[in-house]
Amino acid sequence: MANPPVLSVRDLAVELRTESGTRSILSDISFDLEPRQIMGIIGASGSGKTVLSRALVNWIDPPLAIASGSVIYKSQNILELPPGQLRPLRKEIAYVGANPMGALDPTLPVGAQIVEKIRAVVPGMDKAEAQRRVIELLGAVRIPSPAQRFHEYPSQFSGGMMQRALIVDALATNPAFLVADNVTQPLDVTVAAQVMRLMRELTERFDTAVVFVSSSLPTVSEAADQVLVLADGRIVERQTPAKLIREPQHPYTVQLISEIPQIWTAAAPVVESPERSGTPLISIEDATRTYRVRKRSSFAGYNNVRAVRNVTFDVYPGENFGIVGESGCGKSSLMRLLSRLESPDTGRVVCDGQDIAKLSGAELLKFRRDFQLVLQDPFNSLPPRTSIGAIIEGPLKVHGVNSAAKRRERALAVMHEVGLSAALYDELPLGLSAGQRQRVNVARAMVLEPKVLIMDETLSSLDQTEQFKLLKLFSQLQAKHGLTYIFISHDMAMVRRVCNRIAVMYLGEVVEIADNGKLFFDPGHPYTKALLSAIPTLEKRRYRPEDCLLEGEPPSPIDLPPGCSFASRCPKAFGRCHAESPVLTVDGKEGMAACFLLESAGGRIAA
Amino acid sequence: MFILSFLVRRLLQGALIIFLVTLLIFTLLRVVPGDPVRLMAGGMAPEALIEQIAKQMGLRDPILVQFGRYMAGVVQGDLGQSFVRPASGAATGGSGFSDASRSDRAEVLTLIADALPMTLQLAALAIAFALAFSFLVGVPGGLAPNRWPDRLAFYVSSIFVSLPNFWLGIVLALLFSVKLGWLPAIGYKGFAYTILPAIVLAIELAPVLIRNLTGSLASVMQSPFIAVARVRGLGRQRIVYGHALRNASVPLLNLLGIQISGLLGGVLIVEFIFDYPGLGLLTVNAVMQRDFPLIQGIAIVSSAIFVLINIGVDLIATLIDPRLEY
Ligand code: SF4
Repeated sequence: MANPPVLSVRDLAVELRTESGTRSILSDISFDLEPRQIMGIIGASGSGKTVLSRALVNWIDPPLAIASGSVIYKSQNILELPPGQLRPLRKEIAYVGANPMGALDPTLPVGAQIVEKIRAVVPGMDKAEAQRRVIELLGAVRIPSPAQRFHEYPSQFSGGMMQRALIVDALATNPAFLVADNVTQPLDVTVAAQVMRLMRELTERFDTAVVFVSSSLPTVSEAADQVLVLADGRIVERQTPAKLIREPQHPYTVQLISEIPQIWTAAAPVVESPERSGTPLISIEDATRTYRVRKRSSFAGYNNVRAVRNVTFDVYPGENFGIVGESGCGKSSLMRLLSRLESPDTGRVVCDGQDIAKLSGAELLKFRRDFQLVLQDPFNSLPPRTSIGAIIEGPLKVHGVNSAAKRRERALAVMHEVGLSAALYDELPLGLSAGQRQRVNVARAMVLEPKVLIMDETLSSLDQTEQFKLLKLFSQLQAKHGLTYIFISHDMAMVRRVCNRIAVMYLGEVVEIADNGKLFFDPGHPYTKALLSAIPTLEKRRYRPEDCLLEGEPPSPIDLPPGCSFASRCPKAFGRCHAESPVLTVDGKEGMAACFLLESAGGRIAA
Repeated sequence: MFILSFLVRRLLQGALIIFLVTLLIFTLLRVVPGDPVRLMAGGMAPEALIEQIAKQMGLRDPILVQFGRYMAGVVQGDLGQSFVRPASGAATGGSGFSDASRSDRAEVLTLIADALPMTLQLAALAIAFALAFSFLVGVPGGLAPNRWPDRLAFYVSSIFVSLPNFWLGIVLALLFSVKLGWLPAIGYKGFAYTILPAIVLAIELAPVLIRNLTGSLASVMQSPFIAVARVRGLGRQRIVYGHALRNASVPLLNLLGIQISGLLGGVLIVEFIFDYPGLGLLTVNAVMQRDFPLIQGIAIVSSAIFVLINIGVDLIATLIDPRLEY
């Protein structure tokens, strides 16, 4: 190597020191970061990768402590520098984390805070000069109208915008290296793809070396020149990404690669639709839901947030129906309509021939019993001080099962079914793993023997291994009880694996609804293609992000402009798209999509 | 535009609140026992004369009629005249009988206008003391959770909260003015007379402020943006004073808005103890003399002050934290 490395890590070890003893978090970490190199670090949650990324910028706070080793930058060990000497170095050492929304003071404008940082680490920098540079860089990361955005507050930025602003914050001082810890994790896939592209561009432009930490192997392998695999606090493998994927050495890497979902390969699962027997179990007919929020900028004005717009579809018994879309697309509002937590403003939701908004008394109770919701975020939905048995029995009590012995018997039976040991009956949910917690949630829903389970992002917080196990459990339960599932998710790969029919939502509308195979191999709507292009995968892509998506984020669902809702980001948009709204049009025999291109294509064939 | 709509909305709400407070006080005053005319005219006045004066003053009309007449005056800036105080000064009444003609009696507005600045001065000084003290004790406490400054803040606020204000007032007066002769205590002949009562009020206000400040500062210091700020290269001073305190001041401000309403109770007692010629003392006397117009006037003015202060507090809070909406 002609150039000395930017950063040398030698025998780094980090410990967790608590009253009950010390536990090793990282040990024997050694690597060099060459100039302009992008070093990927991958590991499961709990492998110590976030701790490592923080150690590189000397951000180790009690109860964590550096046990030994060094992080050498410019022949100084930054772990031992006193704060006074370290602070000027922050100009050259940059860090971007996984929580963009929490990274800046919510009470001050974003631009002012970036200027503040520049002036803190570059003494003598002129304020106007710093401001000019920040605005220029905000433009460079493709934040629209940067001069105006400069004065806006963090809460006015979306997650993706904020992550861009933080990249500006990190790169504004031309750092020598950048530590990026899981930067794309909280972002929607299409936005994450843009942010990744941007980081690569900028680091090239600024000659910055990058340590890129992620739990997603596809993301790392696309970005990095070299990958370190971290397991249990040790580096177990280091390779170029291509080699790592082709010939993984360590069992952990092998497992990691085997768990990456298959989308288009021959090994991808085939999900068949069940025989359609008789009438739909639940139909949603032209439902619309609008929320009114107070307008800040005017006198006593309200904005209409159109969360769900003219949604129509049927779900048949025994189906695995998927509803996908990015955050803010209205899928959660739709879930609230389906489960009668709210009623649509217009249109209706029909179940067994009856409008569910009109149900009451015994009928409503029966509906609630048949339709069970399994919520996202297993860490917040279980009451911490109630025993697991009592949690699962809760719904039984509500639905009038009065004998304690009967309730206990039923709860134990369901726990057995979902794979929770009977010994957990009297335990509190505190010690449970994420997967077990999710099983408790499922058991609580199953205890009433429902017909339909609505899964709202149920699996998103679980790692691949746990997801596999739960999905297997779901299909067993389905086979045994004839359940119907509605999966609401942003995870295309998960949906590919389990759903036979999928509705894609964008800005409150269903833009495409199709069978699994059709949706993934021959999508009708440009937005579906964009989503497919952004799935993190190791496969050769059928759709490339460069072809499928314009820059930008979904417009806000307030006061929508006329025309196709996707027109502002659609690479294929043409004149008519900005004036009229397309409606769902039959596209082949297994699907429907709302795009004018399909009409004209169909027209051509007919002609 | 936002500020304008905020102000209009809040002022309208405030007007409604003041109206309701007035109505409530007005009604209550007329149903409680004790005939003000009897007090005014003196114990020796003949029954017929009392009835006559009462009729003249409109006190025998239905309450709603009286209220309407009163409000008509209020909107024109006329709060009526005191039942008992002559324009010249000392209260009339007592056992002797004198039929002061209406023109001799003091305007409520003037009485309040004389007393209000005194009380505002007292309250402002008390709040300044309370804030200064809370920051002195609360900021170190918030920056060192569970260590000695935090515990100190806790003990100090616990002690303060358990001191009754009348007792504290008397003790401080004995100590500082009778024993040590440092500060004057009784009456008012200059600014120095405000200090002791202000300290008593400040000690009453401080504990809640200290707890609030320690708590919110400690929790702001836990927020991710504070940890990240260090990694971004900001200095400790900037982080604490530029960001953490800024964020912690929003709950403090809101609390202050509420506390100021509570201050009134303290003002009553403290002004009475120190014989401080403010709104509190005026209120105490007015109540003892059943001086209905004066009590009503004070109620209107003080509720208007609360409304304005709370609007001000919320406005400042929105300026600090743009996410807030009121
Ligand atoms: S209608 Fe137009 S803008 Fe909308 S998806 Fe189709 S081509 Fe794109």
